Amino acid sequence: MDKSDELVGVTEGVAAVPHPGPPARRVRPWPPGAGPRPSPPGTVRRPWPRGAALTLAAALLLAGTPWLGHPAVQAWRTVCLAITVQALPFLLLGTALSGAINAFVPADLFTRVLPKRPALAVPVAGVAGAVLPGCECASVPVASSLIRRGVTPAAAFAFLLSAPAINPVVLTATAVAFPGDPAMVAARLLASLATAAVMGWLWLWLGKEEWLRPLLRHRHTGHRHGHSRWTEFRLGFQHDFLHAGGFLVLGAMAAATFDVTVPGSVLDAFSGTPWLSVLFLAVLAVLLAVCSEADAFVAASLTGFPPTARLAFLVVGPMVDLKLIALQAGTFGRAFAWRFSTATTVVAVTASVLTAGALL
Amino acid sequence: MKRPLQTLLLTLTGTGLLHTALLTDTYLRYVKAGLRPALIVSGAVLLLLGLAGALTRDGQPTAGTGHGHDHTGMPRVAWLLFLPALSLLLLPPPALGAYTAARADTKPVAVQKGFGPLPATSPLPLTLTDFTKRVQQDRGRAIEHRTVRLTGFVTPAGRDAGWYLTRIVFSCCAADSQTVKVRVYGGEAPPADTWVEVTGTWHPRGTLGTRTAEAALDARGVRPVAQPVNAYTDDLPLTPS
Repeated sequence: MDKSDELVGVTEGVAAVPHPGPPARRVRPWPPGAGPRPSPPGTVRRPWPRGAALTLAAALLLAGTPWLGHPAVQAWRTVCLAITVQALPFLLLGTALSGAINAFVPADLFTRVLPKRPALAVPVAGVAGAVLPGCECASVPVASSLIRRGVTPAAAFAFLLSAPAINPVVLTATAVAFPGDPAMVAARLLASLATAAVMGWLWLWLGKEEWLRPLLRHRHTGHRHGHSRWTEFRLGFQHDFLHAGGFLVLGAMAAATFDVTVPGSVLDAFSGTPWLSVLFLAVLAVLLAVCSEADAFVAASLTGFPPTARLAFLVVGPMVDLKLIALQAGTFGRAFAWRFSTATTVVAVTASVLTAGALL
Repeated sequence: MKRPLQTLLLTLTGTGLLHTALLTDTYLRYVKAGLRPALIVSGAVLLLLGLAGALTRDGQPTAGTGHGHDHTGMPRVAWLLFLPALSLLLLPPPALGAYTAARADTKPVAVQKGFGPLPATSPLPLTLTDFTKRVQQDRGRAIEHRTVRLTGFVTPAGRDAGWYLTRIVFSCCAADSQTVKVRVYGGEAPPADTWVEVTGTWHPRGTLGTRTAEAALDARGVRPVAQPVNAYTDDLPLTPS
């Protein structure tokens, strides 16, 4: 039986990343009851046993060794688990929305609502980001499903960047973290919107579709005749969640490693010089991967730094960080993720400096 | 990843979330109490998703049509989700403690404009933040000669004298933790990470009511206490009932 083409955008692209992996991967349909059968000679075995072995080995290592009790390892596990647990509800919301968009929303809805000209659709989509309450983990799967439903990628990326930074929850948190400083809220809103729009236009100008993984280029419409919408929703939801969840854990591990290994006193070394402090806090936002609903409190606590640097922290954080890069690499492809993240960081820092010059 | 394993992973993750947020208080080690409803809903949704996958057989192709819903192509990265799921269920890591606090700078204390009179209770229970504010900002020097009672865990001070009474606070999850410390003089330092209640008076060093004053305590009594439920805030301790 042949492998049919993908349903909710699920099968073929995901086999390609994150690891180069075995070149001729055999994807076998799963007939229940078909027991294990020997691999025919010359074919590559399904890769999952190796993944299983690795996970099992890791679990055993974690469970039974004395160094597990070392305070550094415990702190690492706590921070890693905290980032994962904190992000899971938002990731679930995002993947549920993305699954619902695929299965239930008529294909032409977004193309009807958004302006026909991509250059106009970009800022509209950026402003529309205000309606998705949550942090950045939710916006990646939603943006990907928008592209699959035919929204121009530039507009979807503007939405992806603006949603976690300008929604009411995040802006309220910012206002609470900076009491008596409404300019910071306004500056965050403006700089984030500007960055999202500029990145959308930049994609229209320079972006190449082949950077996106093949799956997203197909533009297939989610619902197909003859299939239950609920089943499609459930399977797409499940697939997207497991997929993005894996990358979330990967990103959380990277951020926890930074958090535990770099002492806080490093921060003070950079707070003196204005330019250095802006760049340093931008990099710190990428490495710390704090949820966008919490980053305002972290920024407020960095009292040694000038407001411009703190604004850069607030603008870069929701758009680029370790767990987002991992999520984007998984969803859109690695070729896309590193180019997009680099460009976004540059644009976001520039927008923060300009906005801070005008407002703060 | 095969279908039954995906089902297992969803069920485990859902159970892990429900275990940590609904059945126990361990979620408070990682996130704020406000996230609890979201965690419970997420756990229930994942559990239902896993059960639905186990009960239905929609994954197999409709016979003869060739319209297979082939979802076997999960990337291996999804395996990583087993780690937090099993970690939550079997081996939840402890709350952040002395290791993190020793490496962190003290959280700057907000500036408070006027101070009211202190209650007459003695010893007076205070949070570490309030004590620091009284010592460094209260020009009325109301804290002078007063016996106070502070609660926190022990962080060794290294080669310096004394040790630190510590609270770790965070605003969203343990990744954005900040540390509040008060130095304690006198008496043997209890082992790191022990939760203690310290009774004592301000350790005179610097000018009281200005930034030169050290937030420090001359301990009269140090008593071990149970870790409060609200360990990750700098509030007066709520002890488990």
